[in-house]
Amino acid sequence: MALVPLSYSLRSLVARRSATVLTVLVIGATVAVLAFMFMLQQGFATLFTEHGRDDVAVLLQPGSSSEGQSGFPLSRTEILIKGTPEFAEGADGQPLASAELFSAVRRFKLDGGETNVTLRGVQPKTFDIHGDGFELLEGRRFEPGADEIIVGQRLPNRIRDCRVDDVLTINTTPFRVVGVFACAGHHDSEVWADGDRLREALARPGYSRILAKLRPDADVAALAERLSGDQQVPAKAQTERAYLAAQTGALSVTLIGLGTFLAVLMGIAAVFTGVNAMLGSVTARTREIGILLSLGFRPWAVFLSFLMEAALLGVIGGLVGCAIVLPLNGVQTGTTNFQTFTEVAFAFRMTPTVLVTSVIFAVVLGLIGGAFPALRAARLRPTVALRRG
Amino acid sequence: MPFRLVLRNLLAHPLRNFLTFGSVFVAILLLCMLRGASGALANTAAEGSNDRLWVQSAVSLYVDLPLSYRAKIDAVDGVELTSRFQWFGGVYQDESNFFAQFGIDSDAFLQSYPEIEIAEGDYAAFERSGRGCIIGADLASTYGWRVGDSVPIIGQIFNRTDGSPWEFTVEAIYSARTTRVDQQTLYFHYDYLKESLEQGAARGPSGAGVYLVKTEPGANPTRVMSEIDGMFENGPLRVQTTTDGEFARQFATMLGSVPTLLNLVGGAVLFAVFFAVLNTMLMAARERVRDIGIMKALGFTDVPILGTLLVESLLLCGTAGVLAVGFVYAGQSGIARAMAGFIPGFKVDPGIALTGLGIAVGVGLLSGLIPGWAVARLTPIKALRTEA
Repeated sequence: MALVPLSYSLRSLVARRSATVLTVLVIGATVAVLAFMFMLQQGFATLFTEHGRDDVAVLLQPGSSSEGQSGFPLSRTEILIKGTPEFAEGADGQPLASAELFSAVRRFKLDGGETNVTLRGVQPKTFDIHGDGFELLEGRRFEPGADEIIVGQRLPNRIRDCRVDDVLTINTTPFRVVGVFACAGHHDSEVWADGDRLREALARPGYSRILAKLRPDADVAALAERLSGDQQVPAKAQTERAYLAAQTGALSVTLIGLGTFLAVLMGIAAVFTGVNAMLGSVTARTREIGILLSLGFRPWAVFLSFLMEAALLGVIGGLVGCAIVLPLNGVQTGTTNFQTFTEVAFAFRMTPTVLVTSVIFAVVLGLIGGAFPALRAARLRPTVALRRG
Repeated sequence: MPFRLVLRNLLAHPLRNFLTFGSVFVAILLLCMLRGASGALANTAAEGSNDRLWVQSAVSLYVDLPLSYRAKIDAVDGVELTSRFQWFGGVYQDESNFFAQFGIDSDAFLQSYPEIEIAEGDYAAFERSGRGCIIGADLASTYGWRVGDSVPIIGQIFNRTDGSPWEFTVEAIYSARTTRVDQQTLYFHYDYLKESLEQGAARGPSGAGVYLVKTEPGANPTRVMSEIDGMFENGPLRVQTTTDGEFARQFATMLGSVPTLLNLVGGAVLFAVFFAVLNTMLMAARERVRDIGIMKALGFTDVPILGTLLVESLLLCGTAGVLAVGFVYAGQSGIARAMAGFIPGFKVDPGIALTGLGIAVGVGLLSGLIPGWAVARLTPIKALRTEA
């Protein structure tokens, strides 16, 4: 038996304009909230994950899950850098590995308030490991051994004293800003200085992590296995990609959790509205339904037709919701990375995942809202329906 | 005003009106919770303890202060007690079971926190123990820990050299008299950590993350703060002494744009619920056009006609609003407890309750007026001719 033509559903949406528009707006607002939280999460997560490399290894103290928790005494970093055959060699024959000190400084934001800015003390090899990924946008690099720093490109417009020639005092040592750089996403919110100078300024005995370029044939799993059991220099080794993916976990879970919580609560309100709109639609069209049924359309065809109408409402609502938040795509914002309690700048991202999830969510809202009214329509008896209205 | 008509109309469509009622209820509930959360963030600084100060590194969250600082701070005029406070940063079993742990000095801790009371066990037993700990009541109920249990914590900053987890014995369980102090923290003896580090049984930074200072009654906190800061002005590590409220605010501002975000979401909720209710009332008005024609033909003026719709809409939204506000109000201590670790001090104050009610009434008013105004202007003949 034939289905009710789709154009019937479309036309009835147009015929009941005000109810359609209002329902679409309610679904749209709900979807907008979900998409908003999701875009925030995607922007934050991609900032970390898209730059993670598989040919670069990160070594931490065993048990640590971020460089903020990790610490290596000076003697141990030397042994690890010189004595790990998996590390690639630079042009000078030395291993392409660098000990880095991770810290954070309290800084004032230009728009008020204090925040924690990541401070990274690096050895010269860090620049070689990043290779073309590191780009100097302004000024020059710091001289080894000098009290000079370079800042990531996101900082000059967010944090005080981060322009070239400004002086940024770390503890009691004044450091001069000599350059602005761009490097692999999340480093763009960091301040870099000479590792030894920084350790001295902060009175820190050792480094936080080791960053190293791997030989093309290096087996990371075997390296991790061997170093975790090492008696002299135990360490936790992983690829940079794996390390960065783990950094976004906590905040991603929080954002997705909060977004889902809000979307479900608002979704309840949206479903209620959808049911109301569709019920109104069924009541107003009782006589039409009677005609459809007496023309020979089966009840399930009528049911499907009304369900289709509800799904259409959902699709339109979902698209409207995405359209509302689309202008946010690319807008810069900042949040604290709770793995290290430091601030990172990133942009909202409207990814295909966000779009698809939002529209599917909207259609589900529409279908839930449409199921009961559609059932009511399908259950009408033709004679009764024709007589009513 | 035909009040019976209002009641009959409401009861004529029980499902539809129930659903509208539900939307308003959910929306006002959500709005009050969002306002409560953003209010708590804004208020963190205002509500700290007056005689507790925190000495932290002026440089960085990642810099520990030398242990020698304690005696120097203790000697400052107006300081009654000091306690080392070291963030331990371990996890129970794996990273998904995360809660805060601090190494503290037991002789100063409880006296500095009058908000904390011992609910179970004995604080003196904790003081005597070497590896003892006290845990918050929420932590105890989450994991089913009782006094006497041993809690294994895997270190992430501080690792035991033999690779085993740290073992702390629960000596007491505390509860907090205010929702601003969370009940999900584990406190243990800093000395146990220090000894393990010194004996080579563990690896990790030495030093104290922050010092907690309790001032003497009547001492001027501003003077004490500047005296402590001045003492270390030229190093080796500069410090920044802050009030309890300011200390909490620093952590709250880390959330960055979260308050703005919460308000934005609140706006979207408002937008959605307004259209939801408007939709229902438009439907109600449309279905009643013929009834209205009859009323007009009987000689009713516009005022009672518009009034019926308005009262109907106001009743629907108003009761939903009252219920939602009442619900959040009654459940606020539960919500506050759940959020204490993240956003301390969640509270539904009268301002939030009034805003919630005001919005409910406002939405009811508007969505009664808009369709009401349209039907009130119909001529009786036109209204009577319209099909329902």
